[in-house]
Amino acid sequence: MDVLTFFQQMVNGFSLGSMYALIAIGYTMVYGVLRLINFAHGDIMMVGAFLGYTFMEVFQLPFTLSILLAVVVSSLLGIFMDKIAYKPLREAPKISLLITAIGISFFLENAFTVFAGGVPRAFPVPSYMENVINVANITFSVSSITVPLVTLVLLLGILYVLYKTKYGMAIRALSFDIKTVNLMGIDANLIISIVFALGSALAAVGGLFWAINYPSVEPMMGVLVGLKAFAAAVVGGIGSVTGAVIGGFIIGFTEVVVIAFFPELGGYKDAFAFVFLILVLLFKPTGIMGEDLEKSRF
Amino acid sequence: MKKIISLAVASTLTCGITFAKEIKVGAVMPMSGPIAQYGQVCYLGLELANKLQPTLKNGDTIKIVLADNKGDKVETATATTRLISSDNVVAILGALTSTNTAQTIAIAEKKKVPVIASVATNDKLTAKREYANRVCFTDSFQGEVVANYAISQGYKTAVVVVDQAQVYSLGLAKAFEHAFKAKGGKILEKIKVTSGDKDFKAVVSQIKQLNPDFMFLPLYHPEASMIARQSKQLGVNKPMFSGDGVANQTFIDLGGDAVEGYMFTDFFDYTNPPSKTSADFVAFHEKETGKKEVNSFTALGADTYNILIDAMNRCEDPTDSVCINQKIKETKNFDGVSGMISIDKEGNSTRSAVIKEVKDGKMVYKATVNP
Repeated sequence: MDVLTFFQQMVNGFSLGSMYALIAIGYTMVYGVLRLINFAHGDIMMVGAFLGYTFMEVFQLPFTLSILLAVVVSSLLGIFMDKIAYKPLREAPKISLLITAIGISFFLENAFTVFAGGVPRAFPVPSYMENVINVANITFSVSSITVPLVTLVLLLGILYVLYKTKYGMAIRALSFDIKTVNLMGIDANLIISIVFALGSALAAVGGLFWAINYPSVEPMMGVLVGLKAFAAAVVGGIGSVTGAVIGGFIIGFTEVVVIAFFPELGGYKDAFAFVFLILVLLFKPTGIMGEDLEKSRF
Repeated sequence: MKKIISLAVASTLTCGITFAKEIKVGAVMPMSGPIAQYGQVCYLGLELANKLQPTLKNGDTIKIVLADNKGDKVETATATTRLISSDNVVAILGALTSTNTAQTIAIAEKKKVPVIASVATNDKLTAKREYANRVCFTDSFQGEVVANYAISQGYKTAVVVVDQAQVYSLGLAKAFEHAFKAKGGKILEKIKVTSGDKDFKAVVSQIKQLNPDFMFLPLYHPEASMIARQSKQLGVNKPMFSGDGVANQTFIDLGGDAVEGYMFTDFFDYTNPPSKTSADFVAFHEKETGKKEVNSFTALGADTYNILIDAMNRCEDPTDSVCINQKIKETKNFDGVSGMISIDKEGNSTRSAVIKEVKDGKMVYKATVNP
């Protein structure tokens, strides 16, 4: 492989990895606070993409406005999901929450199949997003370079919220002990709602970017991506936001490297993401950035 | 009182005998799920053919019982079993993709229910199966057509991208490689992907480095359209060719500008109907749906139905599945919607192929290739 192709592949891995990273952040935040692996997260990503599609195609709204609306509605959906499905189960064993999450995931997939049909629809992408930039013979589209930038900005934003604001402090406190935090006069339910809103908004951004980069939307699009983002969150250390981003990049690069160096094994690239997951669980169960289970989750 | 009841019973019984029966025919199709597009256009063919010819010669009416397999293997097995055991269908049409049709055939074979596959092209489907038939060509024929075309255009090297999760893709890739090599072509690399993948930038970068004359993509439309788009983004401008798996409008919708010039093999072209039967069907299609364009899967769907009805008409008892199966295999020079079809003892059909190209967002006819 020549140097050029190598760099081209690195650019490819970077843009793919940042999309997993975006979705993994949401997984990690909800886990950090509720100790819940929200398996419906991948489907929120799908909903985000579908909302963007609907605003653009059905309501004929401009691209940027549609994206913003889709993110806002998705975060409201996140709050709503928590209120009707997870809140009644706060005191219940964690396994009940997990099963509920899987139930919501199936519900969303099937509801969208009923309303939208199973046929993939073309996602309308503005042409400037598809413009190709050529730097020293390494080519990439505008969209594939926008994703890493947005991921970086959002990561910094989330870290700022967590460490520099009052709500961030409350979120971190909540990750230690919900009951005690309640006694301290903090409205735990409000904080949990904020976490769900933030996580869902990130998932929606991830879904919209997914739809922009690979311009099709269909009800099952979130399933595999969600699982890989989950693997990314665990590899990075579930509960750690920075870890989720690192995990996302690891999964993204692995996929690209497998195809670049072993094209015959290319079809098994999905398996490699989960091999990583297993290895991490075997040798460092808390993940790369995971600290002692007793310490802060972020 | 007793007399009246017995009279009533007797009269209903006799009426029942003189009235024509309703015979059920099963259809297993992906009406939802990732490949729903295929199932929906193919089922339209069954519906239209059924409207044109709802009864047999003896007056029995045909009812199509549809089962959605969601494009999934397990769902296909369940649906097939249900059609045979609870709906008592005399034959099964469809299952569309080769992977799913293989499931249907395996189950129907045991119950001696004939299957007519509409578009399942995998070579091995009908091997060692007595009740398996099809109206489409096989992958070895399709692969050869593509290889011949590539050689005739002076392309010497090719890269093949194969979907390792689909029997269709593996079979077609193998057939192409075989024919292309035999004619002096060289396969530079065979890259494996899995259906459901969206990101092919790594694959395309790999192809860019290999710099082949020709790309053969025996994939279904979701993957093929993404490869075309990402090839354009990464500046790979090579002739791309697929099999019938991309022969639908969704492929062009998803691919946009990137699929301009994309070539593929198909079964049928509505702008060149091969016979009067075919032209009549195209007209009926327009009357019923308001659309001029007849998808080739619709034409093949109609042909599965027509050939089945033809076979049933030639049986003394139109519900005798053993006889139906035998008559299907004796179909010679059948004037089908999609062209002339002959079915051999193995259940494979001999028929022509059509080469098409995407131009200005439309599928445009290029050539007909006869076997």
